[in-house]
Amino acid sequence: MKWYIARRLAWTVVATFIILSLTFGLMAASPDPQAASYVAQQVQEGGDFEEAQESYERARGLDQPLWERYKNYMIGMVTLDWGWSETRSQPVTEAILEAWPYSVMYATPALIISTVLGVAIGLYSATHRNSLEDYAASAFAFFGISIPDFWFGILMILIFGVWLGWIPIYYHSDVPWFSLQNVQQLIAPTLVVTLSSIASEMRFSRATALEYVNAEFVKTAKAKGADSWRRVTRHIFRPALVPLSTILVGDILNIVLVSSYLVEVVFGIPGLGQLSYKAIIQQDVALVLATVLIPTFIAIVGNLFQDLAYTVLDPRISYGER
Amino acid sequence: MTEPLLSIRNLKTHFHTDEGTVRAVDGVSLDVDRGETVCVVGESGSGKTVTAESITRLIPEPPGEIVDGTVRFDGEDVTAMSEKQLEALRGGRIGHIFQNPQGALNPVYTVGWQIREAIQLHDKKAKDKEARERAIDLLDRVGIPDATSRIDDYPHEFSGGMKQRIVIAMALASNPDLLIADEPTTALDVTIQMQILRLLNQVQEEFNTGIVMITHDLGVVAEVADRVVVMYAGKVMEEGDVYEIFENPSHPYTRALLECLPGRGEKMSAIGGSLPSTTSPPDGCRFHPRCPYAVGDCEIGEQPPMYAVDDGDHAVSCVHFEPGADPSVVLGEDGSDAVGGARADGGDETGGDAR
Amino acid sequence: MMGGEDYRDRFEDIDWDDMQRSGLDSLTTQTAGFLASLGVVALLLVYDYVVVANDGPTFTTPFEWDVTQLDWLLVVTLLTVVFFAVYPLYDNPRMSRRYWREFRKNRAAVVSGVFLVGIFGLGLVGPLFIAKPDLNVLAQYQPPVFLSVPESTVGTCVGPVSDGMCHGTWQYPLGTTGQGKGIMKSVIYGMRVSLEVGLITPLIIIIIGTAVGTVAAYSGGIVDELLMRYVDIQLTFPTFFLYLLLLYLYGGTLFLLIVIFGITSWGSTARLVRSEALQRREEEYIQAAQSAGASEFWVIRKHLVPNVSNTVITNASLLIPSLILFEAAFSFLGLGDPTVPSWGQVISAGRSDIDTAWWISTIPGVFLFTTVLALNFVGDALRDALDPRAED
Ligand SMILES: Nc1ncnc2c1ncn2[C@@H]1O[C@H](COP(=O)(O)OP(=O)(O)O)[C@@H](O)[C@H]1O
Ligand SMILES: [Mg+2]
Repeated sequence: MKWYIARRLAWTVVATFIILSLTFGLMAASPDPQAASYVAQQVQEGGDFEEAQESYERARGLDQPLWERYKNYMIGMVTLDWGWSETRSQPVTEAILEAWPYSVMYATPALIISTVLGVAIGLYSATHRNSLEDYAASAFAFFGISIPDFWFGILMILIFGVWLGWIPIYYHSDVPWFSLQNVQQLIAPTLVVTLSSIASEMRFSRATALEYVNAEFVKTAKAKGADSWRRVTRHIFRPALVPLSTILVGDILNIVLVSSYLVEVVFGIPGLGQLSYKAIIQQDVALVLATVLIPTFIAIVGNLFQDLAYTVLDPRISYGER
Repeated sequence: MTEPLLSIRNLKTHFHTDEGTVRAVDGVSLDVDRGETVCVVGESGSGKTVTAESITRLIPEPPGEIVDGTVRFDGEDVTAMSEKQLEALRGGRIGHIFQNPQGALNPVYTVGWQIREAIQLHDKKAKDKEARERAIDLLDRVGIPDATSRIDDYPHEFSGGMKQRIVIAMALASNPDLLIADEPTTALDVTIQMQILRLLNQVQEEFNTGIVMITHDLGVVAEVADRVVVMYAGKVMEEGDVYEIFENPSHPYTRALLECLPGRGEKMSAIGGSLPSTTSPPDGCRFHPRCPYAVGDCEIGEQPPMYAVDDGDHAVSCVHFEPGADPSVVLGEDGSDAVGGARADGGDETGGDAR
Repeated sequence: MMGGEDYRDRFEDIDWDDMQRSGLDSLTTQTAGFLASLGVVALLLVYDYVVVANDGPTFTTPFEWDVTQLDWLLVVTLLTVVFFAVYPLYDNPRMSRRYWREFRKNRAAVVSGVFLVGIFGLGLVGPLFIAKPDLNVLAQYQPPVFLSVPESTVGTCVGPVSDGMCHGTWQYPLGTTGQGKGIMKSVIYGMRVSLEVGLITPLIIIIIGTAVGTVAAYSGGIVDELLMRYVDIQLTFPTFFLYLLLLYLYGGTLFLLIVIFGITSWGSTARLVRSEALQRREEEYIQAAQSAGASEFWVIRKHLVPNVSNTVITNASLLIPSLILFEAAFSFLGLGDPTVPSWGQVISAGRSDIDTAWWISTIPGVFLFTTVLALNFVGDALRDALDPRAED
């Protein structure tokens, strides 16, 4: 098992390395949208095309040989020197440090609420299959996986902001973090992110638990005299946790990352999503890259945790294969 | 005699499904005394498991429902019990052993945990340490070698036979008065089967436990049964002393079953046809569509009542045994052994070669 | 219960082609038809690029249609669907009936199916007859028909004005955007976009995924290892952010968006196909075929591809809704194709006017939501109908 964990850790490092290298290759091989706009601007201002291009390349270190650039890029990545954000006139890492608390503020509660409620409702549905509650939960889950996050956010703003006036139409970042006002303006984004992840969790935990509801060992537990609460929590939920852990960490994290990105754009929350969005609009390559890589690292680490959780949760796992 | 340990009367367990009401058990009666082994036999799908699981209401409700009948255990009516009382009964005074030991143990807990659970559910005072000691004792008793070190192993680290022993250990955790064993050896190798049956026999002798043994293996019946109940399509066809059933099988269905037993009569002269529909069973005797001796009377009305075959408690649900009718239609001219070479082995342990 | 079912009852059982008996004469109608139509399309393609003037429309009768790259791709995709999904259903009425029986059990899915046929049918033919919505400063913010808004928010009211309220007209049944584009037209063009994303992308995914999965399973060793590790990496990269980066670098056209979605999303399909292939490979009929001297390639085509088709179809049908949602999200973020009206784009256009012209963002959203919902219902029922394991 130790050997397995060591190998899994090693693979995480290798995967990160490969992903960084691939991203570098991709960026090197692609036309630089920022360069294009810079050069166009210089030419418009009466500058020489060639000169503008060269000055841009010099400024970004693009005149160096490829290998040199790759080395600098990798060293920069590892030492957390992620470049300079032109549009914000600050280091990329600084911009990220300023932005992340805003994302965490609503994404964390959303993640917790959706996990706890989603799994609980899914279990309830599975153990009360074909009941009215089960149908209602299924309908709700279909609704949740089908509604586009960004559109749902706009609807919230329209209904609760514009028509009812309960919530602000835009996020006010000058409000103190720990204030009722901040809580009030974060309710809607939290709900949107929660909805998209809770629906997936409900569906998956229902499907998983269904495989165990009629399992023979659950009947054994009943025959031993276990009450229904004990059967559900100890004999259905616990074994279901093994397959569930794969979605709880990996997929749900993904859903939350995506929907928070969109939600921030809709509600104007100055978190990582909006940082990334603005970087794209304003052609800030270094910042775009960084804000894409961050969720990727989160996903890699999530995958690692997921696999480690598996080894803890499932006594049957064999460590022979990766 | 006083009231039997378990007494089932006219039990009807139905399942309400999309395809209609499945009458899995449709009026079954049987008694089990302390220290007695009653075997319930019949081909697959005849309602044996549902009967067994109705005793402690293990059947899933819904879709299942006990629509009629009573189950009395040690003088108390189980069908009227609350869920709390049932939970005390299950695993407390009545232990269950299931067919498939592979699935009967929860894969994510150690066997020690699972046996301890069985102990502590009924002995709330037992501390973890004490329960663990008792679990080791139990494992020892059911013949798990090196119980002390194996108690922290997971089910997948045991063989099928070992798992069944563990399931038995759990069923014995609270020294039950009644054991319900649903085909406990069907999924096991022949040699292991023998060991498990011996184990159950030992337990019975030690604690005077009543055993309901479900099986479709007549070899097992010959091995362990005191009395036999033959079921078909949710009904009891014949019941009686094991010696009587083997020596003097009376219902055509029982006789057909016995003929299927290898080494006896025709070589696996499988009964023609198949079980009738469980949602709309035929009128009259449930077996008549497949019965070679069926007459007009067999096709109308209800399943015939249990007619006594002799002075003992051997009884059969067949119109040919109605007082005044002629049983030789079924039994043949000499009125005795038409099956040929029948041999009742009773509880004789060496009789395993009947298979 | 299912055990005794007759041969050729599932997609799995279809003899996709009887090429083994060799020679063109024994090509099945299916393959022949497919190849022939592909040939026609290829000829037209050549005609379009060689003969027709660069920016002129490809056809002028019966209607003017300048076939784009994407249109070509869509035509090929539709041909594939017709010959490899519709034709087998037509050819095996018994199988079709069986699937239909299973599918019909789910009422929501049947209703959804009808709805989708409507939406995608309109998306397919609508753009051929309806011109793209164009800018019109004289028709900004027109409310949908039957609704009215204060005249002051509208600018120039196209419809009737009463009591200072501007009423919607049939000229713009669903109203207009801040640029005066008719939302109705945009929505119909958006149907086409969703159809293209939802049909072409899965086809690309299926083709690449099946190819990689079978190659990995059959070659084993280092090839298998490399392919699967690559899949690991691809699957580690969160889809959304991978698309985001690629669209930022290369995006701008719907064609590229679809290609990017397609060539970066086949990982899970490849994994599924590989594991299924490994299982099937062990099965005796394949061994039998092998010992009879059949080539590996033939075994794959003849036995494996048909066998994994159910898995692959189910998997793809579950991918479609999320692909459509992704396209909408990227159009919303401004990373879509600015020249093609799509639902996400219109939702985005109305965002800043949400307090005065709420219909701009909400109406296309309703179409997006209901379409995705319907697709999820159908996908679910399809899985139940196609997957023999999900039977209870
Ligand atoms: N949960 C259930 N729902 C519907 N029908 C059931 C259920 N459980 C058992 N049955 C039906 O009850 C009948 C008897 O089954 P069972 O008691 O398991 O037979 P046996 O144990 O004799 O092989 C069968 O027809 C079976 O289909
Ligand atoms: Mg049974």
